[in-house]
Amino acid sequence: MKQQQFEQQYKDNWTEVAELCDGRGDGTRLPLVYRALCQSLALARQRGYSPSLTEHLHTLVLRAHRSIYGTVPERPLALRDMVVRTFPQRVREEWRLFLVAFIAFWGVAGVVGYLAWYDPNWAYSFASPDDLDEFTRMYQPDAARIGRGGSAGDVAMFGFYIWNNVSICFRTFAGGLFGGIPAIFSVVFNGVHGGVVAGWLTRNPATSITFWSFVVTHSSFEITGLLLSATAGMRLGLALIRPGRLSRRHSLLQASRRAFPIVVGAALLTVIAAFFEAFWSATPSLPPQVKFTVGAICWACVLGYFLFAGRRRAA
Amino acid sequence: MGERLMLDGRLALTTPEGVSLALTPAGPGLRGFAWAIDFVVWVVSVSIVSMLLSFVFPDRRLYQGVFLLCLFVSYWGYPVLCEVYASGRTVGKRAMGLEVVREDGLPVGWRESATRNLLLAADFLPFLYAAGLVCMLCDTRFRRLGDIVAGTQVVYRPKPRKRSAVQSEQPVPLPYTLTPEQQRALLDFAERAPRLPQSRCIELADLAEPLTGLRGEASLRRLKALAAGLMGGL
Repeated sequence: MKQQQFEQQYKDNWTEVAELCDGRGDGTRLPLVYRALCQSLALARQRGYSPSLTEHLHTLVLRAHRSIYGTVPERPLALRDMVVRTFPQRVREEWRLFLVAFIAFWGVAGVVGYLAWYDPNWAYSFASPDDLDEFTRMYQPDAARIGRGGSAGDVAMFGFYIWNNVSICFRTFAGGLFGGIPAIFSVVFNGVHGGVVAGWLTRNPATSITFWSFVVTHSSFEITGLLLSATAGMRLGLALIRPGRLSRRHSLLQASRRAFPIVVGAALLTVIAAFFEAFWSATPSLPPQVKFTVGAICWACVLGYFLFAGRRRAA
Repeated sequence: MGERLMLDGRLALTTPEGVSLALTPAGPGLRGFAWAIDFVVWVVSVSIVSMLLSFVFPDRRLYQGVFLLCLFVSYWGYPVLCEVYASGRTVGKRAMGLEVVREDGLPVGWRESATRNLLLAADFLPFLYAAGLVCMLCDTRFRRLGDIVAGTQVVYRPKPRKRSAVQSEQPVPLPYTLTPEQQRALLDFAERAPRLPQSRCIELADLAEPLTGLRGEASLRRLKALAAGLMGGL
């Protein structure tokens, strides 16, 4: 068959496909006309028709292929499902890596904090004297709120915590790709920082209560979020170092599927932490007892969530 | 979906219908330009938003908080939102004629897009996207680390090209049967002839002497006539 005859014969089919791809006409006909179009392309290639025709058909096939196979089923409950089920399940699956991150943070923070508390000279090995003075000044009982400037200041801090802490969370995850080392480094760094601040301020009876009542609530979400993003990052790094029986590419692909809910969850936790840190933790009008109680409830919630959520089978 | 790399670097995907689709991976140069455009767009829009916010919120601290929130959303969210809602193209990629697709040539979803854009931070290390560049240069499909992990790739967006009509010449039947490849070459030549210099056309027509039995201008006319005969009208 000559090319012009061929074009005449199938022209209507091709224009219909183009229209359906643009969203005009009866969409249920697309698979049918798409198959006919695929046949046209195969014929055009086999019969050696002009490259401009085959290219035109090829572009059409590509578009139709995308609109047929690229349609994603609507999952309006995907995020809820991730929060209620997938996220805690994945975290429990990765308990070994989480343990590593946990020890890297709490172990380091505990040791550094103890040293700084036991002998203040140690504190100067981990932080500069200026910084330590600054911390002491920040956590004076009367300074906690004044330095911020009312509720507008709370919003400013909220923005800052989101921008800073969630970005750190994301970078920790991304850094994990390089064998997990940068993720661990980020966790250890934060552990040292947290440890030295805690140890230093606990030594001083004037700042001890202010500090602990400030951090107790939001740290439950913030530190867990950081540790989980490091866990997800280490999952990627481990997939690169030890791909097992898969190729490195497939192993990374699989690891990214497993790590994704953890990163999303870690980011959500960090956002919650920023909310508490900005609007709750620094409120001066509340007595420390209330803050400690709420803090304990938050820690219990986090622990209970990761231990029990998503245990039941999907209905 | 089967996939293999052809000699010309295009990526062939075989669809369930049995036709193979070709995607052309985009290299670091164009992608760098696309990134630079996106960066400029981001800086400009962030400064505009910053100005607007300073009018809306006279309170310095309130303004600062809302601005940092906007900064966060635009910094991490802009590429993801663009790729998911604007068929795989940020502003820079649109300008450069590129798009992000999954490895199987289908549009990216939330997971793929978020993963590849979060891992930009890894591609940035140790400085100025060095890791991403090295990875792209080592990969046959120019994928950066984020692309490999997310299972995506950046390809040229196929442009719908205007089809040029073959010049009308009195159709002549072929003297002997040509293979489909030879027919395609002949038609390709006839379609491209109007865009080629005359001397080049004659040079090519001279090469076709075994087919036309002529040389120079005459051979060129005969080639066009043969092409017209192949197209139809006989």
